[in-house]
Amino acid sequence: MSALVFGASGGLGRALSRELAARRESLVLVARDSADLAAEAAHLRTVYGITVEWMALDASDPRAVEKLTGLPGASAIRDLFFPVGMGIEEDDGLLPPATIAALVGSNLTSVMTTISLFLPGLLAANAGNVVGVGSVAALRGRSRNVAYAAAKRGLESYFESLRHRTAATGVRVQFYRLGYLDTQMSFGRRLRFPKASPQAIARAVMRNLGKDIGCMPLPAFWRPIGWALRTLPWRIYRRLSF
Amino acid sequence: MRVRPSVTPCKKIEGVVPMARGATAPWPAGPSERRSLVTMDGGIRIADAAVHRPDRHAYFHQHENGLPAIPRGAGFSFAAASFGGGAESIEMTAFDRVIDFDTRTGRVEVEAGITLGALFEFLTPRGRYLAVQPGHHRITVGGCIAANVHGKNPARDGTFVAQVETVRLFHPRHGCVDLSRHEEPALFHATCGGLGLTGIIVAARLRTLPLPGTSFRIAHRQVAAITEGADLMAGDSARSDLAYGWFDCSRRGRTHGHGVVVTGQFLSTDEKGPAFKLPPSRFSPKRRARLPIALLNPISIRLVNTAYSWSLLRSRDTVVTLAEALYPTRANELYLSLFGRRGLHEYQALVPRANLAEFVAQLRDDATRASACITLAVAKPFNGTPDLIRFDGSGISLAIEMPRSAAANRLLPEIDRLLVRLGGRPNILKDSRLPRSVFEATYPDCDRLRAVLRRWDPQRLFRSELSERLGL
Repeated sequence: MSALVFGASGGLGRALSRELAARRESLVLVARDSADLAAEAAHLRTVYGITVEWMALDASDPRAVEKLTGLPGASAIRDLFFPVGMGIEEDDGLLPPATIAALVGSNLTSVMTTISLFLPGLLAANAGNVVGVGSVAALRGRSRNVAYAAAKRGLESYFESLRHRTAATGVRVQFYRLGYLDTQMSFGRRLRFPKASPQAIARAVMRNLGKDIGCMPLPAFWRPIGWALRTLPWRIYRRLSF
Repeated sequence: MRVRPSVTPCKKIEGVVPMARGATAPWPAGPSERRSLVTMDGGIRIADAAVHRPDRHAYFHQHENGLPAIPRGAGFSFAAASFGGGAESIEMTAFDRVIDFDTRTGRVEVEAGITLGALFEFLTPRGRYLAVQPGHHRITVGGCIAANVHGKNPARDGTFVAQVETVRLFHPRHGCVDLSRHEEPALFHATCGGLGLTGIIVAARLRTLPLPGTSFRIAHRQVAAITEGADLMAGDSARSDLAYGWFDCSRRGRTHGHGVVVTGQFLSTDEKGPAFKLPPSRFSPKRRARLPIALLNPISIRLVNTAYSWSLLRSRDTVVTLAEALYPTRANELYLSLFGRRGLHEYQALVPRANLAEFVAQLRDDATRASACITLAVAKPFNGTPDLIRFDGSGISLAIEMPRSAAANRLLPEIDRLLVRLGGRPNILKDSRLPRSVFEATYPDCDRLRAVLRRWDPQRLFRSELSERLGL
């Protein structure tokens, strides 16, 4: 039995890979850059003595993920983790079509395509975990990340459907709506709320693995913030600039 | 010196794709953060330093042009070796992987940002350890190489460079190059102890030793003077895994320099049991300086020293865990914090053994005349060969500490003059104030390093407050 980690070369993906490796789970790592993947795979093999395969692919092209089924260890994959996300500064609703396609491809379509490749195996085994990662940006649409927030909200909806689909099976579907993470994406940015460490989030994900938690905001202080944002009347919300 | 003109693909890390030569992307690349940085001694503080924290290997693609930069590890140096001088700091802590480990030879290949603690937790269960390590486990391997730190018994084990086999160095102008004693030896030696001025250490292959045990037997012996302690250490260093002396310099008169010589050996039986996990620590130069005022003054220093001396001598022989023996600074975090925001001066001098008595006597007189309050001195025996600007040679290293004050400012130039006269050398990484003239008088090889740097990096892309102050 092994786990597939999308976006494994940095941030939360790297932290999750190390937590899984510490549990002696075989891993399939996926990310864009082969040098980072090779280095991380070498680290996990050397430190934890586990089997690690890796594949470099561009998740903005959803068809590229179909190559994953060709990996030798693909049939043994029972846990799927998607700590991936691609955001860009100029996401103000005026992005060119190719950029929108890449953004939606990375954040939504590639995840859906990958799950569709492995879900039959999980259902046949009546076991496994599918863990999606969304963002507080999807709580309410806003002008600064139009396509990103739409893709993440779509992802949240997809995971809810998936949870419903697998409710009577041994497959657990979980979704985490994350606040700010201390990653390269947020490095140097002055943010309104504290950044969580990827290691702390990864440990929380591991603790919850196998539980029917549905959608969980992390860190927990985002729960009341999310509630407040969602209930804020439009006439007030429209005046906010954030 | 032969300089390789193109990027060398990393031997173990597959798939590094160099950017085409002639690329003009700005460098350092990626997001940066504005942060206040301070030296461990509190002497140099920059409120708005630019810090980059790359985490992908694509960062080591080639760029022809760039802004001044300097690599940074844990930032534990007492001098501003990883910031200042108009440079942007490149924090390497995300490159923290163990890439390869040869169980037969014990050689381990690691990325530069891995901490000594993480490497300890990897090596110890595999029955290996690094013989030369500084006192805090959060220091990075890259920082140890760039500073060529010493460990618990430099007279026997040498300095950090002794266990470095290869270094992978990145310079925007040259790409990645692999250095060793056989491949680019001049650049290898300039990089080990080169303060990060040759470029960014990306990875290194290190020699490790078989671990004789995971417990240490420590012996404490009371001595009446620093010179007596130096004699004891010199006699014991060859058969000890750890040898240093602690001396109380806060007293005046005949009791000045009373102290304790500490020697230790591995125990083959694990009396303390395996201790492969290190306790968490968030210690940093900023945390050290959180107290707004110094709580150390001549009276409290005497109390602290008396209590510390009593605690050492209470049990003349004791058994401690390997982690406690290797990383003693962990236990001294509170003591360093007592110097408060204003900080401390540490002056580490390597003094020829024949001149130690004169150095100690003159130091005591100078301190009395300047009304300076030296808290303590820590001595270690050295038996190496000086090279370039490494803190190495033959003699006794004496590290003295004192609170920052006007009296200390009067005393330090006196120590500079004394050290130059007696043929010693100061540790440039322990003194954020050391003047260039003293550095040049005590490190006659510094021009050789300057020549290597000029040939390798004519634009001098890598610099820091320390390198600018010393004219490197």
